[in-house]
Amino acid sequence: MNTKRKLINVVALTLCFLTALWGLFWLFFIIFDVLRHGILALTPSLLLKDPTPPGIPGGGLRHAIVGHLLITFCATLIGVPIGILGGTFLAEYGRGYKISKLISSLADIMISVPAIIVGAFVYAILVKPLGHFSGWAGSIALAIIMIPVIMRTTENMLSLIPWTLREAAFALGAPYYKVIIQIVYRGASTGILTGIILGVARVTGEAAPLLFTSFNNAYFSLNMNQPIASLTITIFQYAMGPYEDWHVQAWGASLIITSLILFLTLIGKSLIKRGFKD
Amino acid sequence: MTIEIEVKNLNFYYTGNILVLKNINIPIYKNKITALIGPSGCGKTTLLRCFNRMHDLYPGNRYEGEILFQGKNILSKTVDLIELRAKIGMVFQKPTPFPMSIFDNIAYGLRLRNIKNKKELKERVEKALIEAALWDEVKDKLYSSAMGLSGGQQQRLCIARAIAVEPEVLLFDEPTSALDPISTGKIEDLIVQLKNKITIVIVTHNMQQAARISDYTAFMYLGELIEFGPTEKIFTNPDYKLTEDYITGRFG
Repeated sequence: MNTKRKLINVVALTLCFLTALWGLFWLFFIIFDVLRHGILALTPSLLLKDPTPPGIPGGGLRHAIVGHLLITFCATLIGVPIGILGGTFLAEYGRGYKISKLISSLADIMISVPAIIVGAFVYAILVKPLGHFSGWAGSIALAIIMIPVIMRTTENMLSLIPWTLREAAFALGAPYYKVIIQIVYRGASTGILTGIILGVARVTGEAAPLLFTSFNNAYFSLNMNQPIASLTITIFQYAMGPYEDWHVQAWGASLIITSLILFLTLIGKSLIKRGFKD
Repeated sequence: MTIEIEVKNLNFYYTGNILVLKNINIPIYKNKITALIGPSGCGKTTLLRCFNRMHDLYPGNRYEGEILFQGKNILSKTVDLIELRAKIGMVFQKPTPFPMSIFDNIAYGLRLRNIKNKKELKERVEKALIEAALWDEVKDKLYSSAMGLSGGQQQRLCIARAIAVEPEVLLFDEPTSALDPISTGKIEDLIVQLKNKITIVIVTHNMQQAARISDYTAFMYLGELIEFGPTEKIFTNPDYKLTEDYITGRFG
């Protein structure tokens, strides 16, 4: 009996170990490959120069890097306030209403909606009526993806703050909005910030929603009313293109975006850890 | 002896019309300590939370009857709850320090009342901490997080926070049930000292505590007030057998 139990234990452990190894192998394979190819492309001119006409060597991805940051930044400006206020409604004012539970469940569904559908949606409501692609449309598409992530994280983080803490503030004669801003937000700040960072990291790597909205631009542009280049669309375009030069730059762009997401996620995770220590 | 709070024919219903307080009548005397005792679920905490209308935070709760505080019915719809809670403070079962510095915790209620002057804030924070017997332990770390204090210190911090705004009544909801005996002793001493300035109502599960510190005791059972009187009488010569049985530990 005893040997049998030990045997099952060994088999189960080995299986767990092997499956974990299998997953990790591919993960590291991808990261290593991106690093191996990307590092060769990572030159100052990649970061600082705009593209040259196809076939002519040199040039860089400044237009896509700046465009990507601009679109993501504007998406954050739109998505974060809506996400936080929405989450606040769900956890505070709307707590106990049926509509809140419904919104909460819908947000959960929204989190797993394929990004390309969001892109098509924004295309239909914004790009088509206006008649042209634009940076704003891209930002709005990313914001729509970001909002449910931030909303649900905010809701969860606020719900973790014990009610006794709110009651203590009420008992001192504080009105509800002050209780939320001064006590609840303060207690949940690390968690909310983590939600924002993870939300931003989530949209940073998206290509599909941008394809229908901000489209692409071969030139450097800061005009959000016009199509703007982004790293992800550029990767798609360059990787599919016929020039060896483009392929190298696509690897470079992949490395930049992977590092960006890794960096954001690490900040997010370290905030979570620090939050639990306090 | 003046009556600070008088409960008259109070019925209280939780959401869904569940009657949990049945026709309560009880006087709370000024500058005395009144203890509410009784087995779990008897309604003592529910009664306590009527005094500062804490139940209003949750929709569906309903009061009937009157609670007169300094002659005015505080169950009336026109009562300003923020003003009421400024006069009737509360300390909870578990310490509830806000996630901010020790100083800001005490100053919180003062700032709510628009006291912004730095010198005045400092003086009143210090005064409250001295009265709560916490000053010597925290005077060197006023600006560090209140979360770093021990449980007993946190509870005294909450008391300091409540008395900083100079309330007229202070409600204690089992304030020592989460604390060790030494911290409990300190808080009991503190409560006894506070009664010179403040009227105190305390809910406790600990009968020795009620006997040690209170002047009046109310015994509640199944949502009804069974007996109210001077603590000495309740504990030595109660009128009702139910009270005697509870106090002597035959049930509860």
